Amino acid sequence: MKSSRRVVNLIGEYGIVWATIILFVLLAVATPAFLTTANLSNVLDQQAIVLIVAVFATITIIAGGFDISLSATYILAPLVAIRVAEHVDSGLLMLLVGAVLGCLIGLVNGLIVTKAQINSFIATLATSLVIFGLAYLVSDGSILRLPESSVRALAMTKVLGITTSTWIAIVCIGIAGVLLHRTRFGRYVFAVGGNQEAARLAGVPVDRVIALAFILGGMAAGLAGSLNAIRTLTAQASDDFSLVFTVIAAIVVGGTSIAGGSGAIWRTVVGVFFIAFLGNGFNLNGIDPVVQRIVQGLVILFALGIEAYSRRRRTT
Amino acid sequence: MAACVELTGISKRFGGTQALAGVDLTVERGTVHALVGENGAGKSTLGKVIAGVVQPDSGEYMLAGRAVHLSSPRQALEAGVTMMAQELSLVPARSVVENVYLGIEDHSGPFVRGKELDRRFAALVEETGIGVNPRASVGDLPIGDRQKVEILRAVARDAGVIVMDEPTARLTGDETAALKSLIRRLAESGRTIIFVSHFLGEVLDIADIVTVMRDGEIVRTSPVASETEESLIEGMTGRSFTANFPTRRPPALDAKELLTIQGLSRESAFSDVDLMVREGEIVVITGLVGSGRSEVLHAVFGDASVDSGSMTLSGQVFAPRSPSQALRSGLAFVPESRKEQGLFLNMSVESNITMPHLRRFGSFGFVSQGAALGQAATSVEAVGVRTEKVTTPITSLSGGNQQKVLFARALVEDPVLLLADEPTRGVDVAAKRAIYDLLVSLAERGMGILMVSSETEEVLGLAHRVIVMHEGRVVAELDGESATEEQIMNAAFITSGRAT
Repeated sequence: MKSSRRVVNLIGEYGIVWATIILFVLLAVATPAFLTTANLSNVLDQQAIVLIVAVFATITIIAGGFDISLSATYILAPLVAIRVAEHVDSGLLMLLVGAVLGCLIGLVNGLIVTKAQINSFIATLATSLVIFGLAYLVSDGSILRLPESSVRALAMTKVLGITTSTWIAIVCIGIAGVLLHRTRFGRYVFAVGGNQEAARLAGVPVDRVIALAFILGGMAAGLAGSLNAIRTLTAQASDDFSLVFTVIAAIVVGGTSIAGGSGAIWRTVVGVFFIAFLGNGFNLNGIDPVVQRIVQGLVILFALGIEAYSRRRRTT
Repeated sequence: MAACVELTGISKRFGGTQALAGVDLTVERGTVHALVGENGAGKSTLGKVIAGVVQPDSGEYMLAGRAVHLSSPRQALEAGVTMMAQELSLVPARSVVENVYLGIEDHSGPFVRGKELDRRFAALVEETGIGVNPRASVGDLPIGDRQKVEILRAVARDAGVIVMDEPTARLTGDETAALKSLIRRLAESGRTIIFVSHFLGEVLDIADIVTVMRDGEIVRTSPVASETEESLIEGMTGRSFTANFPTRRPPALDAKELLTIQGLSRESAFSDVDLMVREGEIVVITGLVGSGRSEVLHAVFGDASVDSGSMTLSGQVFAPRSPSQALRSGLAFVPESRKEQGLFLNMSVESNITMPHLRRFGSFGFVSQGAALGQAATSVEAVGVRTEKVTTPITSLSGGNQQKVLFARALVEDPVLLLADEPTRGVDVAAKRAIYDLLVSLAERGMGILMVSSETEEVLGLAHRVIVMHEGRVVAELDGESATEEQIMNAAFITSGRAT
């Protein structure tokens, strides 16, 4: 009786870890092309962008915020960065420009959410439109190409057999993990997301914490946008804006609560890989991308269902 | 008299807690049947089982002689049972009328007949004598009024059995009196009231029959005439009860003024409040809910702005603009609502205790987990929180221990002045006494304590000085040793003839 309950709790708590491991083993056994260095390092490289944004967006979500404008920032940042690179030939500068621009957008979002007290979902939906508009202005509505230069080398370089993008993602995971789980700011993030009024009465600088959470998310989206442009060599205002959906899906599948107040960086990392392995497995087996989408949607619903179920068990 | 509710062998388990262990209970029709017990004794759970809010794991439930399985409150209502919840279950953004008739609206097809609802509401107010503005948004009402809406809602459902869980916890004296007579009238009209309450005086006053519970089991069921407060407490705690309050020593004659407040005003909250707390003094602000007591406390703590007036702390001008400034000036605050304003429910005991003090543990923005855990262990020990480890989730503690965690948090940095809003709300008898002991010992060490309390007994038992507020003004200042219940009531209700 008691032990079965513990098993249920363990499944609830670490369910995504088991699911990812099982998926990994299944693919390793059933799909020969899966467990190869080439395929796995390719998956790693492809997920770098999502990881960078998702780990910082996790902080925003735990703080009780919801940043829809990540996609727009992700699209605007490389356009601005390429405009700068047209004058100064430096890949690092492009990344820096993207990150700083993302910080500024995050700051604006944070101020709107804290000072004007507008619901963050709606506020960032509105700022998204503004940012998309700016993206068309900056690029004159056309495709911007990276200048022929050393910039491209940044994406090509491998250190210890791992691409620069992957290294940047690993560093971002480390920074986000330390910030959230080892610092005062991290504890404040959980406090603000869990119970804002109690946080205020406990002397937590609530507005500053929320604003910083949005700044971090924006920074990551800007950085990732620039990095992606360096990899693909082009950027345009009409680029795919589904990034925020992928990111939020990974966060939620990992088990971070969409209501705020609980979650972890490792959860998001596992969530990203779960979705990535799923997609990779479909691709390797030549399954229709349309089916992939449907299955991904169902998986996300299933993850949310488990969260809702275990929350109900705990509270009644 | 026919047995109305008959429960046999009802058991219910939540996670690791056996909330009810084979409970047998018979409630007669037309009686007021009280359930008493400490927090966690299972009285609320039993009430919820009767009202179909909680489904038992095993056991039989007979309603008016017929076996029933109530799988939802709605089904219970169809069977003639409704519940007034302890946690208010209203829709804040909608009007009083809409809330009262939620789910039982008169309608023609899909359309609600608003006029008919208004007419029924007027009749309901007439019948119950409870008046609330039907058009007001529930979210804008003070908590006492929301409780009235809950009562109206339960009566409007015209159920034969009404379960009331702590209906008076948020009511003032006159509202409680009105509720008492309403309950009597409901019982006389043949309705059965299950009355779950912490307030033993009330139980003895209102109920016909009382069931004492302890650790998920029934200790005994007997007519109230054969019980006293002492006998009930003995049954609830399993031990005999001594004095309610520790002996308080008056602060030294030369005790310095710690906090002075002069002419403090804030629009539509309080006006022209003067008050002073000395070192080692317990000052208790009392009065009706909504008289501005909590608002004054929040203003002192920097959580609400003031329009005019001034404060000093240890002789220095004191004008905190945020709780964190107040904390740094040596204040600490135990808020009124443990779950809404106090605790971080998805955190550990340790995180809950150290949250306002994290600067002390670690440097460069990092938190030293070891130092934080060490502080939490010390604090838990000092305040007497019963918990196995400080890494335990806060939600696995009882209400009384959760409240003690809030005290542990407040005392980490040895504040000079402790603010406490209803510090014993919703805790059991033993925890209450522990908190009283703590408050008195803190005062003896020279800490100033400014607290708000609605329980007259607590006010008289603890205060060195009593401040009575009414409609945002201080209307009386009484010596704690010599003050009487009548003096406080007279001051608190000074203009009650005028109010409805």
